[in-house]
Amino acid sequence: MMTTEMSALRADALREIGNIGLGGAVTALSDLTGVLFQLEVPRVHEMDTTHLPNLCDSPECLVVGTISRVEGDWPGEAAFLFPWESAEVLWEMLVQMKPAGLEEVNELYQSVINEVSNIMLGNYLIAISQMTGFKLDMEPPAFAADMAMAVVSSIMTEALYGQRELIAIETRFQVPERSFQGFFFYLPETGSLDRLFSALGI
Amino acid sequence: MSLLSARASLLAGMGEIKVARKEGVLGCIGLGSCVGTLLYDPQTHTAGLAHVMLPEPHDNDWSLMPGKYATTAVPTLLREIGVNTSQASRLRALLIGGGELFQNRSQTLKIGERNVETLQQLMRDYRITLIFEDVRGSSGRSFEFDLSTGVVRVRKVGQPPTEHALAYALGLMRPAV
Repeated sequence: MMTTEMSALRADALREIGNIGLGGAVTALSDLTGVLFQLEVPRVHEMDTTHLPNLCDSPECLVVGTISRVEGDWPGEAAFLFPWESAEVLWEMLVQMKPAGLEEVNELYQSVINEVSNIMLGNYLIAISQMTGFKLDMEPPAFAADMAMAVVSSIMTEALYGQRELIAIETRFQVPERSFQGFFFYLPETGSLDRLFSALGI
Repeated sequence: MSLLSARASLLAGMGEIKVARKEGVLGCIGLGSCVGTLLYDPQTHTAGLAHVMLPEPHDNDWSLMPGKYATTAVPTLLREIGVNTSQASRLRALLIGGGELFQNRSQTLKIGERNVETLQQLMRDYRITLIFEDVRGSSGRSFEFDLSTGVVRVRKVGQPPTEHALAYALGLMRPAV
């Protein structure tokens, strides 16, 4: 049911963009925390209502995340998602404490996740700008902590609004010895993909 | 009467529509800005549930998944439960979801709010009585509706589930003679 023809070459280009973009972002996160993060090869897929990312054990498990609108030459929605246990790892690394539960996620804890998203997304967009010459701006991240399914579906509907389909560039980064994993999604406006490919000469 | 109380629920995934007659459990898992829209016909004890994602379709792609959009889900639900527009006023409706999970967005589409408003307006247009709402706010929700008992159970993260007995409002209980 994919209406945008996505050639193998174009999918490769999106994976490469994700790789280079998030490479810089993960380095920035390592500088911040002193921990080395491993980056997986990005997956480029059509995000539809039946193929949801598998963030944790159940659709109701608790995840923490942010969404930021990206404006400019390659607009879209950028989202970072962390299973609750991984968010705890980030909090412990960055403020040496963690909330006992959802009700204790105060502004300090929210700002830690927002700041991580901010730094990573900023570096991601810089890398893409350098590759393409695109001008890109981001809005400050907005925070949520809730059931995985509710958070993911809210991100999807935001990105889906006004368009027929959704292409996701999904990248997982992890610290195996601390059972940390984070997920980054870029959901570009599908109409802006051609502009990206022509900037890359594809 | 079955002794198996833990019957499998019929869960409507995003954009899906599920229908049950006389008994069974209908529900949605992890509603964020989406709205579980359930219509019940007291005359035939039939319920239809749509997992609505957006207020209206942006082009003509809705026919593949009419349950995805409020404005196409409601007429499709009527058809699925076998009720025409002139009979719609006998239906009862439940709306669950429509939260804004992401706080302090500088540019927000307010999709949850717009889903809720659109569905409420559709209920007025079809003269359908809204008997239960758990909408808006900042929480995600899951719910199950048991057709044989008229009980709806809503779950939110970090809160005990709430149960609401709707049998009377649904017309499931005959008045005592």
